Amino acid sequence: MASWIDYTVNGIVIGNIYALLAVGLALIFGVSRLINFAHGSVYVVGAYAGFLAVTQLGTPLPVTIVLVVAVGALLGLGIERFGLRPLQGYAHIAPLLATIGISFVLDQLVQLSFSPDPRALPSSLLDTRFQVGSGTIGALDLLIGGIGLASAALLYWFLRYTKLGWAVRATAQDRDAARQMGVDVDAVHRTVFAIASGLGAVSGLLVGMYYNYIDPAMSFQATLKGVVAQVVGGVGNVPGAIAGSLLLGLVESYGIALFGTSYRNLFAFILLVIVLVLRPNGLFASRRQTPPEPMTGTFIAPSKPLNVPPKVLLGIAGLAALVPLVFPHPYLMQTLINAWLYALLGLSLTLIAGTVGLVSLGHAALLAIGGYTSALLALNFGVPVGLAILSAGLFTALLGTVLVFPSFRLRGHYLSIATLAIGEIVSLVILNWESVTRGPIGVSGIPSLSLFGIELDTDRSVYWFTLAVMVVLAALQFRLLGSHLGRVLRAVRDDDVAARSYGIRLDRYKGLAFATGSFAAGVSGAITSHIYSYINHETFNAQLSILALTIVILGGMGNVTGAIVGSVLLVGLPEVFRVAAEYRVLIYGLVLLLLVRFRPQGIMGTV
Amino acid sequence: MSSMLQVRGLTRRFGGLTAVAAVDLDVAEHEFVSIIGPNGAGKTTLFNLVTGLDEADAGKVSLEGRDVTGLSPDRLAALRVARTFQHGRVFANLTVLDNVLVGAHVRFRSVRPAWPGPLSLLDPVVELALALVRPGKVKAEEARMREEALQILARFGERLLPRKDNPAYSLSYANRRRVEIGRALALGPRLLMLDEPTAGMNQTETAEMQSLIGDLKKTGLTILLIEHKLDMVMQLSDRVVVMDEGHVIANGKPADVRNDPKVIDAYLGHRRTDRPPVAEAAE
Amino acid sequence: MPMLHRRLLLGASAAAFLASVAPAGAEPAKGEPIYLGVSGPLTGPNAQYGAQWKMGFDLALDEINADGGIKGRPLAYVFEDTQSDPRQSVAVAQKFVADRKIVAELGDFASPASMAASPIYQKAKLVQFGFTNSHPDFTKGGDYMWSNSVSQADEQPLSAAYAVKRLGLKRIAVLHLNTDWGRTSKDLFVKAAKEYGAEVVATEGYLPDEKDFRSTLVRVRDARPDGLMLISYYSDAALISRQVRQAGIKLPIVAASSVYSPKLIELGGDAVEGLFTASRYFPDDPRPQVRDFVTKFRAKYGKEPDAFNAYAYDTIVLMAQVMREFGADRKSIHDGLAKVKDVPSIIFGKASFDTATRRVAGAMNVDLVVKDGRFTLWEGGAAVR
Repeated sequence: MASWIDYTVNGIVIGNIYALLAVGLALIFGVSRLINFAHGSVYVVGAYAGFLAVTQLGTPLPVTIVLVVAVGALLGLGIERFGLRPLQGYAHIAPLLATIGISFVLDQLVQLSFSPDPRALPSSLLDTRFQVGSGTIGALDLLIGGIGLASAALLYWFLRYTKLGWAVRATAQDRDAARQMGVDVDAVHRTVFAIASGLGAVSGLLVGMYYNYIDPAMSFQATLKGVVAQVVGGVGNVPGAIAGSLLLGLVESYGIALFGTSYRNLFAFILLVIVLVLRPNGLFASRRQTPPEPMTGTFIAPSKPLNVPPKVLLGIAGLAALVPLVFPHPYLMQTLINAWLYALLGLSLTLIAGTVGLVSLGHAALLAIGGYTSALLALNFGVPVGLAILSAGLFTALLGTVLVFPSFRLRGHYLSIATLAIGEIVSLVILNWESVTRGPIGVSGIPSLSLFGIELDTDRSVYWFTLAVMVVLAALQFRLLGSHLGRVLRAVRDDDVAARSYGIRLDRYKGLAFATGSFAAGVSGAITSHIYSYINHETFNAQLSILALTIVILGGMGNVTGAIVGSVLLVGLPEVFRVAAEYRVLIYGLVLLLLVRFRPQGIMGTV
Repeated sequence: MSSMLQVRGLTRRFGGLTAVAAVDLDVAEHEFVSIIGPNGAGKTTLFNLVTGLDEADAGKVSLEGRDVTGLSPDRLAALRVARTFQHGRVFANLTVLDNVLVGAHVRFRSVRPAWPGPLSLLDPVVELALALVRPGKVKAEEARMREEALQILARFGERLLPRKDNPAYSLSYANRRRVEIGRALALGPRLLMLDEPTAGMNQTETAEMQSLIGDLKKTGLTILLIEHKLDMVMQLSDRVVVMDEGHVIANGKPADVRNDPKVIDAYLGHRRTDRPPVAEAAE
Repeated sequence: MPMLHRRLLLGASAAAFLASVAPAGAEPAKGEPIYLGVSGPLTGPNAQYGAQWKMGFDLALDEINADGGIKGRPLAYVFEDTQSDPRQSVAVAQKFVADRKIVAELGDFASPASMAASPIYQKAKLVQFGFTNSHPDFTKGGDYMWSNSVSQADEQPLSAAYAVKRLGLKRIAVLHLNTDWGRTSKDLFVKAAKEYGAEVVATEGYLPDEKDFRSTLVRVRDARPDGLMLISYYSDAALISRQVRQAGIKLPIVAASSVYSPKLIELGGDAVEGLFTASRYFPDDPRPQVRDFVTKFRAKYGKEPDAFNAYAYDTIVLMAQVMREFGADRKSIHDGLAKVKDVPSIIFGKASFDTATRRVAGAMNVDLVVKDGRFTLWEGGAAVR
């Protein structure tokens, strides 16, 4: 059918756009082993820089491009120098989080400067279009493709034939060896960041012109798609990134052709998960590579945790229980209820990411599974709410573990990306599986909390209920950590090669930990749905996953008290600082950056 | 003496390079065998193949007569094979005591149920429940294991015992290697495989380690040792195996091997400096 | 920032101008303000709509306060950022109900956020006025849930009538935002279109941050429609329209009234020339109150108002009238909403509530087409492009 030509052309066109992003990401990963989540923000800054150039200065296109590349390169240098270089030698999670924090800060700065309204970015190119199949491609399509190819070719030449290029490749292969050979590794990092960010900024400009549309919120999608394309092609592999991007574009296009537009992202993420599970080095990885040596203790910043004696903890729990009697302000109680629910999420993630070392970026999906399960059990089958919540927790434990299981063999960044993708898949399935979840319309009229037939309809009762659930699960988690099983889980995190060599079956224990953690998250989601009486696929979104991770880092990875302290702070403080509403997310990003830089072990220390 | 470990034709290739080339090895029960050879000879790779960390391209490994080729490392551990690592791999954030206790994992019976047949799917759940509830048997076992771990730490004199609650990352390099050995002993091994336990240690530390390993030998433990310090090798070993470029080039009593011209040639031939091999033995 | 200064300057001069032409005897309001609580997005993915709200609110407040406010006291609002997140809208709800200064609540932007907070407002007997919540279940949350948002049940049949009966489309392909608003609207549109005798040959739902519609349009084209219906906001409508033209599709495009905004023209450029939409008002609308609104908006902000601005403006005007007639405390406002009649409204002409549904019936409707870069009245004629 003629349409297939059109789908193919469209796939390649969008693949071209992804390639601009993926190549920059690949360069950075190749040298710093870092997934740069701030790349999308550089893209946005580039777009707005171009906007200023075109609308305020009226520069012709070539000049605009040069300006934007310069802005991007400078920004990249800044990010590398001030955001990432100070973190060299820190646990690997640190730069990942730093780039997330940087992306928050940059996006917010752009939004505060330009308002959240989308802007038009006119292209000064001729409006000629060429007939291809039954659609057309325009001058901008060709320009984007041209720049993509040109940068790839330039990069290839640079990496192969210049001294600095050799230095980059050497550093990518083995940083320490390169340093020993006299390579100025810092200069290499700077160069790569500058090049990659320049390219990223230009992509923002070109794509902005392409759609005649820029807005500050476009960074997340850009990063996400760029990361998917890059991983599919092979992390750190520039030609692979291009091939991966084209493949991603085609998969999305054909997915739409076969199933409809709402399935587009679902296909993208399923492709990612399949590639990660079957060929983690990417589809276009050069040679059969030896299995990478796992790095000891990569995800934890070593520290001595602040030990709070159990009696003190009990005392604090008691004080918390007294709050509704002593300070019966509904606003305070509501904020604390939120805090306890987040604390459950924090407990879950601190066990999974902190104690066992599986840094999950898609944890909100577990909340969603729990929330929907409980809501649907109560609504469709009349299951009493208390039982529904419990069942939801168990079901989340089961389903969550099954979903994540294939990715247990992955390590480091790959695992985190896989969890991110799985989280997005869950959200998209919830959106599309309308017969069960009612799609975007959501589930309303969810029965409110009740226990053994007694309605919990006052603030107090809800408060005590959530506090009790949280305290019980926290106590159980403490107990778990103090047992032999707790030791084993931490051993898995610290060095899974040694752990295996001493009889610890990794899959079994990772699965066990994940299931246990997922139970808490499922319960949290379930309670949430009964409190809010209405949920849809956006209720438990990606931002929650990042918030959960921040809570866990803030409190201290693996630290149960820390998870609770982190939640109270991260939920309570924004309420206290409501005055600075427009700056809230900016402050949040800064806090994350400062934490990562100056106190990666969190407030209470890692366990 | 019965055979503890038997390796036949074990081979591992990495692309064009053959790291381990059809190696045969026999270790009898209670025997102390050392493997020596220049860097890159394939010694650690051999260890990895035997313990299941790496997959062989060909060959067979038997443990006490039973075929264990290709079994995963955790299965080998359950069969009481313990190993240490060339660069030392302790659990950095666990305390010294916890490191040793993790080593004893396969001996924790009460906390790790093994239900028969299809019920074994429930094992993790039961394990979780036991960790949370901790009935009497579990508590007793934990206490017993702690006692044993403390006794193991005591073998190292005042080096580890006063630091038993310190996290491993805070230890000196030498102490971390000791913790590794303590962990290996906690497994209750029938075969102990040590990979360069004295790498990076000075003379005093090496002597201490040598004495410790000697004590272990006296308890009748079967030991397989990779080492570069030839003095130690000669003094402790019942037999010495020499590897070079993936092949076994000599296998016999220490004195015989030391004077074997092939062995001298291998060492001389691979040296980049002109220092004779004797200097290495004096390290 | 230059824009902010310009706005303040314009705002100040507008206020001064208004004050100088205020009818004799009306003094600017002074004293302790009466507060409305606003729960809505100032940051996050929907931040741009919160910004539009503020513009509408501020314009209305300028006039009301220059005209004596509410019995001499100024009217003001407290805007709490919820990012349209139910978690936050619930916390904000608690805050508002506990703050006795707040006499009524406006918002949230998205129905899930509003509906999550409804139980709190209902129990505390504080009016929750979800002026952009068109979800059919919103007002069912309780008798304190009110809305002047045109229910999709009323709106979509109007769009369908325009598309089918007046423009004569027989085979329609619908592209819609895959949100609760978009879905509900799509279902209602399809139902109405079928009743009027048209066939809906394709429906494609897309996510709010989607930018690339090329392959979607191939699917749509293959269904051989004779026109496209967009159930979108202005950003996505602009993106889709451009790509429709780039794909060489020369079919007429009809869009829901939510696209009514100068941004549609700015972002869509030539591609939205000839786009058909309906709206409650348009720039050259002869109604005096619309003329007034548009002129003042242009003077204060230097651009044309859109649907969100108008709703926000209308809501403040409505609240002010209720308070003036019935009292400015929580209970009076609640009771007053049921009784108030014929409030001047951009959207409705004259607004009165149907006490059964707690919504306003009888939205104004003008059929529009984009011509020469402006929204103009559709003068009849078939839908050709």
